[in-house]
Amino acid sequence: MKTTQPRLRALVCSSLLALLLLALLYAQWWLGDLPTRMQFEARLAPPGLDHWLGTDALGRELWARTLAGLALSFQVGFLAALLGSAIALGLALLATFSSRLDALISMLIDTLLSVPHLVLLLLIAFALGGGLQAVVIAVAITHWPGLARVLRAELLQLRAAPYIGISRALGKSRGFILLHHFLPHALPHCLVGALLLFPHAILHEAALTFLGVGLSPSQPAIGLLLADAMRYLSGGYWWLGVFPGLGLLLMVLSIERIASSARRAL
Amino acid sequence: MLPPLRTRLLAVAAGCLMITTPVSAKEQLVLAIGGEPEQGFDPLLGWGQYGNPLFQSTLLSRDANLDLQPELATAWELSDDRLTWIITLRDDARFSDGSALTAMDVAYTFNAAAQAGGRADLSALEEATVLDSQHVALTLHQPRITFVDQLVTLGIVPAASRENGHGEGYGRQPLGSGPYQLVEWQEGEQLIVERNPYFYGQAPAFERLVFLFTGEDTTLNAARTGSVDLAALPPTLANAMPSHMQAVTMQSVDNRGIMFPMRPVQSERAPSGAPVGNDVTADIAIRRAINLALDRQTLVDVVLNGYGRPAFGPADGLPWSHHDEEVKAPDLERAGALLDAAGWQRQDDGLRHKDGQPARFRLTYPAGDSTRQLLAEVSAEMVRPLGIEMQPTGRHWDEIQRLALHQDAVVMGFGSHSPQEVYYLYHSQQAGNGFYNSGYYANPAVDRHLEAAQAAASTHEANRHWQAAQWDGETGYGVRGDASWAWMVNLAHLYAADTCLDTGELGVAPHGHGWPVTANLLEWRWTCD
Repeated sequence: MKTTQPRLRALVCSSLLALLLLALLYAQWWLGDLPTRMQFEARLAPPGLDHWLGTDALGRELWARTLAGLALSFQVGFLAALLGSAIALGLALLATFSSRLDALISMLIDTLLSVPHLVLLLLIAFALGGGLQAVVIAVAITHWPGLARVLRAELLQLRAAPYIGISRALGKSRGFILLHHFLPHALPHCLVGALLLFPHAILHEAALTFLGVGLSPSQPAIGLLLADAMRYLSGGYWWLGVFPGLGLLLMVLSIERIASSARRAL
Repeated sequence: MLPPLRTRLLAVAAGCLMITTPVSAKEQLVLAIGGEPEQGFDPLLGWGQYGNPLFQSTLLSRDANLDLQPELATAWELSDDRLTWIITLRDDARFSDGSALTAMDVAYTFNAAAQAGGRADLSALEEATVLDSQHVALTLHQPRITFVDQLVTLGIVPAASRENGHGEGYGRQPLGSGPYQLVEWQEGEQLIVERNPYFYGQAPAFERLVFLFTGEDTTLNAARTGSVDLAALPPTLANAMPSHMQAVTMQSVDNRGIMFPMRPVQSERAPSGAPVGNDVTADIAIRRAINLALDRQTLVDVVLNGYGRPAFGPADGLPWSHHDEEVKAPDLERAGALLDAAGWQRQDDGLRHKDGQPARFRLTYPAGDSTRQLLAEVSAEMVRPLGIEMQPTGRHWDEIQRLALHQDAVVMGFGSHSPQEVYYLYHSQQAGNGFYNSGYYANPAVDRHLEAAQAAASTHEANRHWQAAQWDGETGYGVRGDASWAWMVNLAHLYAADTCLDTGELGVAPHGHGWPVTANLLEWRWTCD
């Protein structure tokens, strides 16, 4: 019973996320220009049968904008997690080459971990001028050290394993050992690390966009929808913030649950 | 021995209450109108250029009809060669420390402002000289009729040579002869001012004014709880007007429009290093078509919630602007015909193309400005049916200056009580000069009209030249001529005011929501017991 409950939870979360992903991927197809289409006669309409989640100040459908925003966040999160994990994996593999390299990479990891990552994130995103590329790079650069530290420890442990010594003694090259022993061992850890990084990246994208150094204000990003909602909250237009916020929460929680399950399974 | 802790805390709390609790409804007015000046209250650095300097007096003022009225100056006269203004000062003007304001202070203010490089434009001033204690001569390099505007906006400060004179810290501790004197300024929070007992004019109705520097949400909440008597509201929150307050609107020439880069893409860059030129907006057919496609009334209704009026020029309704500048828009048919005739043909992607160039360009706006963002997004939708794609792009101001100012169409705002602004916006010598003629507009005929206006013998004559620069029957900077801008809206500034507060007859505000409403502060009255 105890073992089936987490599995059930993981299954539910996976199904939920799969559905959400399907909707998001599908959204790119059939939403078309709906997230940006203006209906001046239906400005700031509350949720109802005509407008499921209400409309914004220019009469744009909030459900369409929320879906488009989530799709955008998913894209950013995916790219940032991929890039961050790749950096972490690359440096962890590099650390196995020599003790000097290992010391250098360890120092880099410690340095980056000692800086509050939100500050660094803001600085990098601002320096790169904002936009999708800047957010992806900023999140990746600030979030690889945690995963790199785990991978490095795993690989250093592996380097001392007898079968690696035998492989060396048999005259196998560094590249061979790296490709056939280190990489297959590190990849599952890397995958879980990337999954854990994913919701972080999505939240950071939303935060950066909310603060004005993320995605362009002309894109229906979740952070932007929330920032816009702030301007109208005093006027009682609650739906502008509630639905995009809930969508973001649902997506992040689902991914986080799946990542946790995968980590336990590993 | 110190009193017990509780007693001390109560004393501190009581002290705080004494500071924040109204003396009485009639004596103290709390305003949340924003506009805290970063550089302080120093007229030499720009304070007062867009509104009432409050602490200082000006030589002249304008009434609600923008006619000149005496202030510190009782008489002002321009010499026949139009190079010297002789100013006669009133003899009862005193600074708030009781010392007399003399010609020495006026001369110092003008000479120092000319050197300070602030927002006050004194480039025409050669020298201000003291004739006697009540008379000053302002000598110009060349005739410039708009110099009189500086007599209206430049607040007079005490000469540096006198005790308590103007110095480095003046902006934080201003001393002037205006109706109020500064009591306390907590930057980012509040400004407290009290009546100047030595003010020469009629004493203001309110002993104390408290200006709160709060964000939009806090301001609205403060208005709802009755903590403020006058609050500036953005048009987006017009529907959230507290029920116990009245809506006060101030018409303005605070406009918003699209500035077009006028040159094709250039190889050389602006002095700032920013790229110059745009191949699409350099085509007059594109600019005219956009002017014809914009439904300005819908922009007012949708973006400004009805608080504004359509704009067709930089100074609509002012004497130096053509009254018949209005174009019949939207007229997509005519706009389409213009584009067809100019060789912009529709392609499969829905856009018009000419010589392989798609009719697509960025429409940049400052990212933090919700009104400009909405204007950019809605206007982009309005021109889309024409086959022109304006891509709304939010950027920070520093990024706009670094990258966009001379190569993107930019949503900008101006609006002044001085026609000198028209000169800055459209004269070729001002091309690339900061935000003004950032599109590098140049038309020799327009230049001639603008120069003639500056050198005119009278305001009336100058106005004819200003108008001719807009459209002289053959050419001009306006929509019938080069259409160098697509002006969109003039904002009406919205305030929530206590129902007991009578703000009198508000004039026409220049650019900037906030301080301009205090221009007729001396007329404000409390109508309840």
